[in-house]
Amino acid sequence: MSASGDTTTVSLRRSRASFLRSATLGGGVAAAGFVLAGRPDHAESAGSAARDADILTFVLQLEHLQSAFYGEAFDKGSIVGEARELARVVGGHERAHVKFIEDKLGSAAPRPPRFDFGSATSDVAAFFEAGRRIEDIGVRAYNAQAPNLTVAALGAAAKIVSVEARHAAWIRDLAGVDPAPDAAEPVLTAEQVQAALRDTGFIR
Amino acid sequence: MTDLRFDLLDADGALGEAVASLHEHSRADFLRTAMVGSGALVALFARPASTEARTRDVEILNFALTLEYLQAAFYTEVERIGSLDGALKRQSRVVGAHERAHVRAFRQALGRSAVARPRFDFRGATESPERFRRTAVAFEDLAVAAYKGQAGRIRSRAYLASALAVHAVEARHAAWIRRLAGVSPVLEAFDEPAGKTEVLRAVRATNFIAKTRSRRSPTYTG
Repeated sequence: MSASGDTTTVSLRRSRASFLRSATLGGGVAAAGFVLAGRPDHAESAGSAARDADILTFVLQLEHLQSAFYGEAFDKGSIVGEARELARVVGGHERAHVKFIEDKLGSAAPRPPRFDFGSATSDVAAFFEAGRRIEDIGVRAYNAQAPNLTVAALGAAAKIVSVEARHAAWIRDLAGVDPAPDAAEPVLTAEQVQAALRDTGFIR
Repeated sequence: MTDLRFDLLDADGALGEAVASLHEHSRADFLRTAMVGSGALVALFARPASTEARTRDVEILNFALTLEYLQAAFYTEVERIGSLDGALKRQSRVVGAHERAHVRAFRQALGRSAVARPRFDFRGATESPERFRRTAVAFEDLAVAAYKGQAGRIRSRAYLASALAVHAVEARHAAWIRRLAGVSPVLEAFDEPAGKTEVLRAVRATNFIAKTRSRRSPTYTG
């Protein structure tokens, strides 16, 4: 899917300032680039603007799912107490993530799919289970893709992934499940993420 | 990775593996890969090829190791003193085991390049639940920001993947202890990074690092 092939375009000596300026996901990162060949160990070697866009498109749909889920749970109003507060706070974050990624993708950003959350947005036990699943999936999806991003996009994704991990720990602790089950976060490949999402039955 | 497009999902098709078994599968794979030698993560730390990349990455890994030493020593001391009960005690045990696993993994990856463990003096922060909570929240939030600050500088893909795996776990720890401390587990939609200088300044300000153990090894400022 990436056009970069074996030849790697990286930007080696960006200053901090220009790094921040160019922290636009999926755009213009390679412009000031330096071509390096045959350095597969290099973290920057995997990145390209096209690949960034593919990965962002992928995680955008996860963010859409999360955003819709918490929004619906909050709007229905049958989940109360700290779980409702979680739906409000986390829902706000997910909407901010959607907007951030949509801005980066511009007109290429896909429309959200239609969702059917069933009782998961009204029954608190189902809410906990679904929330835990989609937060864990989110963390592990971002982490699996992050090494494939350009440095600029990686910086942006890193700001999101730890927030997803905080969400995951919050809902797990609230649900009485171990908030941090592993010393090192496992990853989920794109195929595994797709299968896990399909399994939720939330996507129509 | 074939295609990342979510819109190719066959939502009407047969269900895939259950999420639980998926997670089990990926967890089992991960553990097979990672549980080598004394600590998790070790096998992920393959060495980068070039000297330049290796030098930069060693510096970053030693910085991370210093933070892990600090956290591991803190939770280990809390457990030894026995100043916590209930949910806090459980949190400190689970998180302490993670931090010790991180120390082992970084030490193993660094081999002889690993910085020496500093001597710590937690100045009472391990002796009461109130002070423990405050300190643990600060440590965990700091670790999240510190890993995030280094992610873009890491040259080796293997090291980057490992650092990200630790970064997410530190964020889980942070949310967990924040909830137990009665503060919001998550503050903003985006977590900000902290640079090495900023992180080390924060660490130094605690005065928790008593002195370095040996004359020649770089201190944590290295």
